[in-house]
Amino acid sequence: MISVKDLGFVYQNSKTAALDGINIEIEDGDFVGITGTSGAGKTTFTFALNGIIPQKIKGDFYGAVTINGKDTAEHHAEEFARTVGEVFQDIDSQMVASVVEDEILFGLENFGVPHEEIEERVDRVLKELGIEDLRDREISSLSGGQKQKVAIASMLALEPEVIVLDEPTGELDPESSREIFRILTRLNREKGITVVIVEQKIMLLCEYVKHMMVLDKGHIAFYGTPRDMVSSIETFKELGINVPRVTELSAGLIREKIYDGEVTLTVDDAEKMVRRILG
Amino acid sequence: MNLLNYVPGDSFLHRLNPVTKLLAAFLYGIAAIICNNVFAEIGFIVLMILISATAGIAKRALFLTRNLMLLGLIMFVIQLFFVRTGDPLCVIGGFVLFTTGGLKSALLLSLRVIAAMLPLMLLFAITQMNDLCNALVKRVHLPYRYAFIVTTAFRFVPIFATEFHDIQDAQKARGVDFDTKNIFRKLQLIAPLCVPLLVSSLKKVDVSAMSAEMRGFELRGYKSGYKEYPFGARDLITVLVLIGLIVVTALFLK
Repeated sequence: MISVKDLGFVYQNSKTAALDGINIEIEDGDFVGITGTSGAGKTTFTFALNGIIPQKIKGDFYGAVTINGKDTAEHHAEEFARTVGEVFQDIDSQMVASVVEDEILFGLENFGVPHEEIEERVDRVLKELGIEDLRDREISSLSGGQKQKVAIASMLALEPEVIVLDEPTGELDPESSREIFRILTRLNREKGITVVIVEQKIMLLCEYVKHMMVLDKGHIAFYGTPRDMVSSIETFKELGINVPRVTELSAGLIREKIYDGEVTLTVDDAEKMVRRILG
Repeated sequence: MNLLNYVPGDSFLHRLNPVTKLLAAFLYGIAAIICNNVFAEIGFIVLMILISATAGIAKRALFLTRNLMLLGLIMFVIQLFFVRTGDPLCVIGGFVLFTTGGLKSALLLSLRVIAAMLPLMLLFAITQMNDLCNALVKRVHLPYRYAFIVTTAFRFVPIFATEFHDIQDAQKARGVDFDTKNIFRKLQLIAPLCVPLLVSSLKKVDVSAMSAEMRGFELRGYKSGYKEYPFGARDLITVLVLIGLIVVTALFLK
């Protein structure tokens, strides 16, 4: 469990706080989506979840972040690296090897995973992400979606409890984006891995996440389940974040007492709703 | 054609230990440097091309030879006019342009440069950079951070190239005309791009360092590597043959 109390952070040489007064508890097995306009503090927040802040990045740190009861300010970031794996936003720069297999081996070798166990782990994560055929490929020759899968696989090989991803679908087409979410959902359901994902495509968040968090200028502007969004549609509009049209539609229909079911989050649900209304 | 790209294969040369490959390339170069005979030097180059043919990289070898010839040509010209031993060979209006000694040493030096560099350049065609570094860490106990620096440098070249093109495209979209024939004008246009390139490169390097550190870079020792790089009989044979080559060269071709 990751517990964040009164977290604030000001980057060195910066006057404004990147994060301010953040309080949140991320339970084991949760699937949290974070969204917000650029500069809202999303990336900074992900760095605070595994000790990169305050361990690796200089600045003024306030409050406390504890991972399974361990304070991130008091232990080396490497100690948390195996518990909370992070896939950074810049997918090309975070790769440390030129071949897929070596990329996955890197963490395993460094953390001293017994050599007998390594082969089995590499096989397993490649299979889990469906990229067995990429094993000997040069990373520079892969597509954006394939690179994301390799990055996730290399994290997964370390068997973390939490995976944090910073806009993994930023440069992907809609279908590949959806596939990344499907993979994460499966890992979340079957392995109980906690997922924290920064994502701009709100449609995807509504469809897959359990909890949603909207950051604005370093504050939490909204936190709740995707369905809770409905009561905060005005907040979202003020922040310039588009609530899915199907959600807005169903909220409107409920308000006008035309429909008495739950708000819809996906196009499929909306179709069912419309069919029901039309009888 | 990329000069340093790996060409996959399963030949005798491919299957050598990466450390042996590196050592062999050096030994071959040493033999070429010791050699003092113009014809034998040509023999060294031809032999190297034949050897690379056994690994299926003859095309690369010929391509490299052609490119190294340019370098050889520069060495040739410099030597030709600056070495003034032997008899005058070309005299223009009473001024000795070059001598027999100059011609011989120029020919020898330029061929020697080609013969000595060819195996080192070909090394990359039959060795993955990662394998070479991992093997050096594992077998020679080269500190990992140095190996990491080298592999990272190689890996970042294409990433920076893409970055540079992106910046250039952004400038083109704003009407900067990079297609000018005037080389000075072109340099003048490209020079300011170095600043954004440097800034974005530094950011990328930061992410890379962070990513490596978060995956236990500091904990890595020479024993960490999963892949073993055992030396075999073929490695011993290769090194012995090359030592033999050096001895023969030193005895008969010096």
